[in-house]
Amino acid sequence: MRELLEWFTHMEHSKPLSLVLLFVTFVGIVLYVYSNRKRAKRLESYKYIPLDDDESTSDEQPAGKHHEH
Amino acid sequence: MKHETIETNAGWLIVLTLLVISVAGLVEIVPLYFIDDTVEKVEVDGKETVRPYTPLELAGRDIYQREGCYLCHSQMIRPFRDEKLRYGHYSLAAESKYDHPFQWGSKRTGPDLARVGGKYSNEWHVQHLTAPRSVVKESIMPNYPWLVKTDLEYIDIADKMRALKKVGVPYSATRQEFDNNVKRFGKEIAQELDINAAEDNLIAQAESKNYDGERDNISEMDALVAYLQVLGTMVDFSKFEDGHFTKFR
Amino acid sequence: MAIAGLATQEQYNYAIIKKFVIMALLWGVLGMLTGVYIGFELAWPALNLDIPQITFGRLRPVHTSLVIFGFGGSALFATSYYVVQRTCQVRLFSDVMADFTFWGWQVAVAVSVIGYMNGFTQAREYAEMVWPVDLLIAITWVTYLIVYVMTLRQRSQPHIYVANWFFVAFILATAILHIFNNMEVPISLFSLKSYSLHAGVQDAMTQWWYGHNAVGFFLTAAFLGMMYYFVPKQAGRPVYSYRLSIIHFWALIFLYMWVGAHHLHWTALPDWTSTLAATFSIMLLLPSWGGMINGIMTLSGAWDKLRTDPVIRFLIVALSFYGMSTFEGPLMSLKSVNALSHYTDWTIGHVHSGALGWVAMISIGSFYHLIPRLWETKLWSTRLVFIHFWLATFGIVLYISSMWVAGIGQGLMLRAFDDYGNLAYTFVESVQFLFMPYVVRGLGGVFFVSGMILMAFNVAMTIRQGYRERAMLDAKLAAKLANA
Repeated sequence: MRELLEWFTHMEHSKPLSLVLLFVTFVGIVLYVYSNRKRAKRLESYKYIPLDDDESTSDEQPAGKHHEH
Repeated sequence: MKHETIETNAGWLIVLTLLVISVAGLVEIVPLYFIDDTVEKVEVDGKETVRPYTPLELAGRDIYQREGCYLCHSQMIRPFRDEKLRYGHYSLAAESKYDHPFQWGSKRTGPDLARVGGKYSNEWHVQHLTAPRSVVKESIMPNYPWLVKTDLEYIDIADKMRALKKVGVPYSATRQEFDNNVKRFGKEIAQELDINAAEDNLIAQAESKNYDGERDNISEMDALVAYLQVLGTMVDFSKFEDGHFTKFR
Repeated sequence: MAIAGLATQEQYNYAIIKKFVIMALLWGVLGMLTGVYIGFELAWPALNLDIPQITFGRLRPVHTSLVIFGFGGSALFATSYYVVQRTCQVRLFSDVMADFTFWGWQVAVAVSVIGYMNGFTQAREYAEMVWPVDLLIAITWVTYLIVYVMTLRQRSQPHIYVANWFFVAFILATAILHIFNNMEVPISLFSLKSYSLHAGVQDAMTQWWYGHNAVGFFLTAAFLGMMYYFVPKQAGRPVYSYRLSIIHFWALIFLYMWVGAHHLHWTALPDWTSTLAATFSIMLLLPSWGGMINGIMTLSGAWDKLRTDPVIRFLIVALSFYGMSTFEGPLMSLKSVNALSHYTDWTIGHVHSGALGWVAMISIGSFYHLIPRLWETKLWSTRLVFIHFWLATFGIVLYISSMWVAGIGQGLMLRAFDDYGNLAYTFVESVQFLFMPYVVRGLGGVFFVSGMILMAFNVAMTIRQGYRERAMLDAKLAAKLANA
């Protein structure tokens, strides 16, 4: 563990390593989120959650409720 | 595991978030404790010259913190030409290794104080702290007239040293620790670091140096000036060749 | 309408939110007034009045604690409790525990600032609280975590809405930061004085890991949570892209934790640490702007609301300042820029473009949305909201531009040499130069705090109006019952 941590401390290692770590994770998430059409539709449907709760006291009703569950 | 599980399960959200936010601390902070070069060794003739504060200096440092001096004055000189001319040699990590907490600061509303020790006389400091504009007309520092009028409270000085000892500052409580300090810092300094003689040492230093110019009492001013006068004086750069410290950066 | 309103009042715990809202406004006004005062102390040091309790060094942590923890913290408690209940459509897990978080937090803020004025401090920036207060905060925070997570677990929605992710990350990160940064040894059980466990380099690194993530999680992630609920709500349309919100959430919380050491460029901290921090600071621009774009584009197709709805204006201008200061931040983390900007007022200006422009503006906008709904009425005056908007915006512009002049000007003066290679200016000459920028900055603060006072007045009138309408309704109902 200690050796591994020390390996990080050399500038020539830590930069590419952190870059790779970050990039792999990032690409993974991006692929997951954008790769599948059905999943995309499901994910985007969640954005209506705040508009779904019946609001009784507001001065104006939110325009158009798009419910996609 | 599906991302859907994370989205719908609060437990997974917590675990993964914790994981993601812990990486940085492990990689950046933990090694600082293990790498020997992080804090350089400063020794002259086999003795360490960076030493813990004497009881009076320590009391002064606590007043420095109480008044929030660190909010306008840094104690960290950077390796630039203008800072060298203005303040002196850039600060070493070793110079703040007994600072719990560190006082590097983040803003210079006033000048850096890392090497203010010995630059001005005690009288100058007393006058300047009491009424800064009587010394530097354009200064925007507040007056601190109460420092010279207030008796220093030092009843808990031994408690303070004991607490600092717990966090790793080599103040001595036993004979063995004392002997150890003699080896590290020399006899004179080892005596100052002896917790059992804390109060006597504090009184002796205040009375012999009489920082505030008033004989009859030990004031907060005595302690604060004692602290300011030791800042940056523990490393004698004339004893090291040029560039000796660059390899640690 | 009114009957349904009563039902929501009972379905959700609104009482706790109301309390936090009022305290946020109170601390906000007090904290900003303190800020204005100490700003003027720097221009006219006579204002220190030789009174220990109000000298700059003691009041500065009072200002920062009141606005960050008093105003910002209470605003976050209020909005997070509102958002979690509304998006999960379930009542808060425990009223008693929620009440405990209220009292724990308010006592911590009040005791801290009274302590600072009387010289009780840990002397670590933004973590000045003495050790008993640190303990109280730790207990309060764990209770907060339990209330929040248990509410999430009881939700009637299958999906956890993204605003809650940001709030959860904020609560978790703040807990970790608070605990690790406040490891300290009291000198005795009966003394408020303590010494931090770390020293020197390690202490500096831990402190700025904490300090910058207080910005990253307390003042950014959490307020993004606020943004993800209140911007869509006020605009009446869903957030621009939900998938973008997922991506920038993970990227943001991962990257933020690395960047603290950019506060320690050119110091005795090893180079590898601060260089690493700078690298990550630049990458952080991407998720930051991801959030900004997501928020602003929510309004696409409904830009006309900017003209008519002052609340939307607060929210969108907040996002614009967020974009600006998250661009300025990475710029200042470059070692060459930092060499000039560090230790100067440029940093102070940068902090305030984030704190006033982003944090305060988004909170104000959210509050204007939230308050009529909590007290079941309309805002007493929309006109005052417009005036507030202009006061706030003008104040911020004065503040930031004067601090750019001050910071860059002083930075250049201090590194200037004459023809013989001597320093061109003494330090105190640069202090003289700062006088005008300091006066203008103070004026900017006056504008901003006037807006806040106006808001407090508007809110007080709104609450009064709410109570009156309620009383009238009750009277009508009683009359009806009597007739029947």
